[in-house]
Amino acid sequence: MLTESVNSLSDEQTALVSLDLPLRANLSARENVALIPLYQKHFDAAESSRQAQALLDQLGFGAISDKRDPDMNPSERFVTKLARALILKRPQLVIERPGAMLYDIPYPAFLRGLAFRIENGPAKWEVFDFDWNRPLYD
Amino acid sequence: MEFLLNFIERTGAKAAGWWSTTYGIVSFLTDVLSTITRHTTWNRATLDTIAKQIYFTAVQILHIYIIYVMAISWVIITITLSTARNVGLFDAATEMIIRVLLLELLPFLTALLIALRSGSAINTEVALMKVNNELDALSHCKVEPMQFEFLPRIAGGVISVIGLTVLGSVLTTILAYLSIYGMSATGFSTFSTTIATVFSVNILLGLAVKCTFFGLAVTTLPMAAGIETPKKLFMVPVSVLRGMMRVFLALVLIEVLSLALKYI
Repeated sequence: MLTESVNSLSDEQTALVSLDLPLRANLSARENVALIPLYQKHFDAAESSRQAQALLDQLGFGAISDKRDPDMNPSERFVTKLARALILKRPQLVIERPGAMLYDIPYPAFLRGLAFRIENGPAKWEVFDFDWNRPLYD
Repeated sequence: MEFLLNFIERTGAKAAGWWSTTYGIVSFLTDVLSTITRHTTWNRATLDTIAKQIYFTAVQILHIYIIYVMAISWVIITITLSTARNVGLFDAATEMIIRVLLLELLPFLTALLIALRSGSAINTEVALMKVNNELDALSHCKVEPMQFEFLPRIAGGVISVIGLTVLGSVLTTILAYLSIYGMSATGFSTFSTTIATVFSVNILLGLAVKCTFFGLAVTTLPMAAGIETPKKLFMVPVSVLRGMMRVFLALVLIEVLSLALKYI
């Protein structure tokens, strides 16, 4: 059911943060995020890198910008994926199964904390989680 | 009867597998061509990535390549000169060295070196990207894997094979001259005339085409093998094995076709 809901989302409208959409393993956190302005919006390398760093700073994880995926802990990996999704500037942001990515922290509070830090974010945020995890969000 | 059925089944499965592989490679090459011809492909980011790939493929191995070329060239030149002297064909030695080393052996060995070093790495990396869903993640972000990951590696591979072959040829030419005439300038005129005779426009064009095909083979075939890897981690070594076998067969095929076109 959850997978069907995620598959029905449009790529054009929705930026997805998911376990199934990993980071490029040989790129740093900043480079993973900078790819979007560089290739999609055709900014130069320096400007793309600046935008990526600014977004990581805004999320409170500026210090991880040089880390590659294998060197990150689950929170750092999640934040990099979130930054990559945010820089896409799509109207909807969907976080799919956050518990699978943030398995070692109380993730609803962590997500709320990140949401407060984001300025000019997507119009709509959604968290797709299993029904039995609902009490965690209360 | 059962044996016959099994035989037909096995042959059919092999033919279907062969067809699917060929289709995959042709379809990948078509994608490459269509991306090359799109003007939006050629932005600063793509060129920067190509430059990075040339660095990884050619510049990083420059010292090893120079030693490798000098060693092989020195051995072949020495054997050729000694044999030519023994059979009384010393005058033809320069041409033999150029034909064997510069036109055939160096391009082939350069492509083989790049295939072993970079082709296998490309195959493994693409297979892992496929298995780990990294290609899907790039597509979700509308960063085309073809433009960001594949094309720069192909362009880097082709430019590296051509560049290293040219460098190897220049070094071998100098070594050949020094082996035949020593430090004296007396043989320069004869030597340069022989080189000019061998390197006609057609031969030069043929060499450029052969090096381009070598470059394409050592990059596109491992990539295509990586892309067709099923999403199972244990299939990555099988993918590399298949990819590298295809590269080897392609290199031999290109070399044989080039020899056949030149001499038959």
